[in-house]
Amino acid sequence: MTRGVVAAGGVAVICAIALIMGYLVWVVVPMLMPASIQHLQSNAFDVEDVLNVSSHDTFESIEFIRSNGTVEFRDSESLEVLKQTEISPDPFLSVKHVFPNEDMFVALTDKQELLFFSLTHRVRFDGDVRSVENDSEVLFEGSTVALEDSEDYDVYREDTRLLVASLLPNGEIKVFEFDDIDNNFELEDPREATVSTWGETPRETEILLGPRGRWLYQFDSSTGEYRLVNTASIRRVRVEAEGSFSSNRNRFAHVTPVLGRYSLLVADDSGGLRHWSLGPSANGTDFQLIREFSYRSPIKKVITENRRKGFLAVDQAGTGHLGYTTSSRTLTSISMGNVPRLIAFSPRADRLVSVGETTDVYKVSNKHPEVSWGAFWGRVWFEGYGEPEHTWQSSSADTDFEPKFSLVPLLFGTIKAAFYTMLFATPLAIMGAIYTAMFMSPAMRRWIKPGIEIMAALPTVILGFLAGLWLAPIVESHLTSVFLVVFVLPIGVLICAFLTTLLPNRVSGRFDGWFAALSVPILVVLAYFIFANDAAISHFFFGMDAKTWLYEEAGVDYDQRNALVIGIAMGLAVIPVIFSISEDAIYGVPQHLVRGSLALGATRWQTLVRVVLLTASPGIFSAVMIGLGRAVGETMIVLMATGNTPIMDVNIFEGMRTFAANIAVEMPESEVGSTHFRILFLTAFVLFVLTFALNTIAEVVRQKLRKRYGNL
Amino acid sequence: MATSEPPNDHSQWLRPQRLSIGRWWKSGEPLIWLNATAVAVCIVAVLGLLGLIAVKGLAHFWPSDVLTIEYDRGFDQTKVAGEVVQRESISRGRFLEAYPDKSDIEGATVARWMVKSGNRRVNAPDFRWIFEHDILSLEREDEIVVFERAEWGNAYGTLATINETGKPAITESLWDELQARIKRTNQLRRQAEKIQNRFIERINHQFEKLRLQERRRALKGNYDIADLNAQREELNDRYIHQEGRLREVQSEMERDSVEVRIADGRITTIQLSDIIRAWQPNSMSYLEKFGHWTASMWIFLSEDSREANTEGGVFPALFGTVLMVLLMSVMVTPFGVVAALYLREYAKQGPFVQLIRIAVNNLAGVPSIVYGVFGLGFFVYLIGGSIDDLFFKAAQPAPTFGTPGLIWASLTLALLTVPVVIVSTEEGLTRIPAALREGSLALGATKAETMFKVILPMASPSILTGIILAIARAAGEVAPLMLVGVVKLAPTLPIDGNFPFLHLDRKFMHLGFHIYDVGFQSPNVDAARPLVFATALLLVVIIVGLNLSAITLRNRLEARYRGVLL
Repeated sequence: MTRGVVAAGGVAVICAIALIMGYLVWVVVPMLMPASIQHLQSNAFDVEDVLNVSSHDTFESIEFIRSNGTVEFRDSESLEVLKQTEISPDPFLSVKHVFPNEDMFVALTDKQELLFFSLTHRVRFDGDVRSVENDSEVLFEGSTVALEDSEDYDVYREDTRLLVASLLPNGEIKVFEFDDIDNNFELEDPREATVSTWGETPRETEILLGPRGRWLYQFDSSTGEYRLVNTASIRRVRVEAEGSFSSNRNRFAHVTPVLGRYSLLVADDSGGLRHWSLGPSANGTDFQLIREFSYRSPIKKVITENRRKGFLAVDQAGTGHLGYTTSSRTLTSISMGNVPRLIAFSPRADRLVSVGETTDVYKVSNKHPEVSWGAFWGRVWFEGYGEPEHTWQSSSADTDFEPKFSLVPLLFGTIKAAFYTMLFATPLAIMGAIYTAMFMSPAMRRWIKPGIEIMAALPTVILGFLAGLWLAPIVESHLTSVFLVVFVLPIGVLICAFLTTLLPNRVSGRFDGWFAALSVPILVVLAYFIFANDAAISHFFFGMDAKTWLYEEAGVDYDQRNALVIGIAMGLAVIPVIFSISEDAIYGVPQHLVRGSLALGATRWQTLVRVVLLTASPGIFSAVMIGLGRAVGETMIVLMATGNTPIMDVNIFEGMRTFAANIAVEMPESEVGSTHFRILFLTAFVLFVLTFALNTIAEVVRQKLRKRYGNL
Repeated sequence: MATSEPPNDHSQWLRPQRLSIGRWWKSGEPLIWLNATAVAVCIVAVLGLLGLIAVKGLAHFWPSDVLTIEYDRGFDQTKVAGEVVQRESISRGRFLEAYPDKSDIEGATVARWMVKSGNRRVNAPDFRWIFEHDILSLEREDEIVVFERAEWGNAYGTLATINETGKPAITESLWDELQARIKRTNQLRRQAEKIQNRFIERINHQFEKLRLQERRRALKGNYDIADLNAQREELNDRYIHQEGRLREVQSEMERDSVEVRIADGRITTIQLSDIIRAWQPNSMSYLEKFGHWTASMWIFLSEDSREANTEGGVFPALFGTVLMVLLMSVMVTPFGVVAALYLREYAKQGPFVQLIRIAVNNLAGVPSIVYGVFGLGFFVYLIGGSIDDLFFKAAQPAPTFGTPGLIWASLTLALLTVPVVIVSTEEGLTRIPAALREGSLALGATKAETMFKVILPMASPSILTGIILAIARAAGEVAPLMLVGVVKLAPTLPIDGNFPFLHLDRKFMHLGFHIYDVGFQSPNVDAARPLVFATALLLVVIIVGLNLSAITLRNRLEARYRGVLL
């Protein structure tokens, strides 16, 4: 009975431990699952006059806007008509989304007027029965914007600003800006601006309004040349840049904007799909080619997702390729028959609706397209950047933000923090262990060892707090001293040490084993003297403040919470670990080895280096491994004593962001199940495996050592 | 760690004879000195850190003298009363960077004082740097009073009059009268708190219960809530009654106010209901100061925090830490001990068990944040979310267990510390000689009897050590707790008078997180820093105390069983 309970309990605990690893993997794995598209159904009804197809957030209904000025809400499963409403008695020539809104549309009527409307989906609860009431609603009291023979138009609206751009037959572009608009009031008093014609000869062009209504893009649909017009201020509308999307090899075909419209997908006539983004260039803002996709046959139609930077490109053969820009991936393909006339992603990008000869619905499962080996570890050319970079920036307040998931800056920060920590801790801990184990008087050792070990129990939040609020300002204002003590203290101690040899042997012999205690007052006095006179000392060396000198003469940036502070603070957390284990290893070296060496005439130092350290080296190695494991995973000190900026700079005077600190900062805000959430789990898993491996190596080495001592 | 090693005294080696500097260098002795220096650095670091925390933490409660400083602000001269909290010197270069027109100041460094001058509302800022060379006069006025206020930090000034309902009432023996009246408002405050916590909160709790009941019925399709509405009505009456009582007490509290003359001569009025304590540090004897010091410490330990945690006490954080750690030890002890017993006494020793042993050992080295991530994903979202779906449908969409809370924090930390208990218990089990076990079995005891009567009592020192070390580790952890249940300000303690009394789903406060939050997220770092030092001291005392008691306990219990073990 007892046996059963104990065994069950024991196995349960061990399973719980295995569960940790299993669970981390279980969360990470869905991220690596391939995407898929699946054809759900095909339906034949009259769609010839459908101008636009769209769907609502939860994909309960699909809306078909027809050229007779009506909208049909159809059930997303049966495709039965749920409701039909008339938006306007005037027939529509074309319908577009009002950028960047999901539910707001603009229609060009046959009177050459722009009419604004939105499709609404009100959720009602009757008791616990949920129903959705679909409706269309004409905005701005039905007021319209007259365009007079527009060749092309585009509309942007955010909050209270509405921007309408219209391409006139004479090649000019008219821009109207409405301020302080409200859905329930008429549109009135636009401010106007005109962009002059493009060149002498008339061209066939299209226009698109860009991000935040600050830009207007105009392309020549035959040559692929473009103009970039700055519309940030209606009073100073001006052409910012001109260029061409085509090259000698590739002839331009058509353009589709990616979410946010900071970048465009440009298809050519030979199967290429090139991603151009607005970004800083030599002469101001301009389009830059940031990545290319290539397919077998020419891309005829491209649509983009509403909430991510993904796209679907349909080629001549009617094959739809599901892709993602940031990760440069083509995720999956599906044959759609021939090229549909209209296609639309559902807002959550989990469904596709295509309208061609028939109306087809596809199920898309594509949860984590942002993830790829290249996106994690390679340089990625993000939208709006001047060049490919390693960047970690997981979230932003903007909805059209491109998440940047490069793990390199975090890995770099982790290594940097661990490096400076070990640089500080390893020598101190090992040297301390050598002295404590070999030379210290037993009376003193009894106190010193537990004393230093108790430091390991000190909560790291306290070390972090002291490092961030007490040490960092001191280091900043006494920079010269911090580096000076590294040289002066040993020299000072050595001088004092030599002086003791001048004392009569009877006296100095008593010091033996108490060197450490003797050094303490020397250290304290010297360090105090140096720190108290820091200003004078740095004036002597640099003629000014050390920090000013760094910045002005050496051109080195100084961040108050930097790797130096981390090295010292985290060093203090790691020292007891390394100290304790290596002290055990050195102390355990069998006495007869030491005695034999000394009897053969070796000095104490020779015995130490050639016999003791050699024998104990595996133990010291494992101590360093365990210390490194602790430095890699430490969270609070790094969180509190650095600025936590994910930069990549080896400079000791700059901060960093480590994996552990990144998890602590971002995990609470991460949406459950999102790519970001799973990537954070991935980094936790990496930390787990890394420290587990380091500790296992250390443990195996230590067990071997124990056996060796046993044999000796 | 190394208690059982044989005495191994290397220090008795012969030292070399007196030498010349060259031979001394060659002998390697200087390098031994350098190694000694490394130990010395470590000692200085440990003692320095502990000393710094102790001094700064304890000084926070000391009623330091208030100086009245008249100084030159550049554009005019002003007088300010306050405590000097820090003195430092900055280099002349840095000084001139900020004040390029003051090149007539002599010396390589410029001394400046940080003065806590309080009076945040009338004479901001409450912390100011004053250069020593700007000071015109310094005075130590005996009558100056420090007011600790419920809001806006301390106030400093001398008493002018005490007002009753807005009119001057007292002008004689102000100090004694003030103390008496502060006592009165404090009593009223306690009364108001009692009404708030005992009665109003309970009524709110019942309101919430009614709401959930209604929701539960609605889920079943039962919309008949007449009886609930009746109850609600009755509750509402009780609520109005209690609220009236509360308002009465509050208006009583508002009766008195005191007019205070601040250092620059202006008069400001402070409501007595705002004042928590008042003292005259400059006229206090050392004994009185000591009394004030201990009283302040008691307040720190026993009261709630105020002003976004930058003032007042840390009681909720201390309470949360202790409760969480207790829950954790309740969970970790049986599992840790059972796992160790299984590994040592029941499992067949071999490479597989050895492998598990290494794995368990290594888990102690896995970063704590990884446990936090696991706890958040597995306990909170997966298990907590399922519990909510099964048992707390009525409360949804507000999560009950599907959100970070006390139970998940304790579980996560139990998982984090289970290796400590396993390793420590196993160590104890290995030391029990096989002869004892065999003896017990030979006398006819069953294996279970042997385990409960012989093995477990003998291993108890190690088990206890393991538990204490686990508690010490758990009390100091912050990183995982940030993900699984700790908050900066919990409105209620996890234990209260409402059923089921211990609220495992509530979020709680924690000393370690308190340090992080107040030190780094607080808007007024200068005001918060002394408090953080005091909190850090409290945490260090708890953890070092636990560690030391683990060591002592182990030694004592070991001594008791030494006879058998040898």
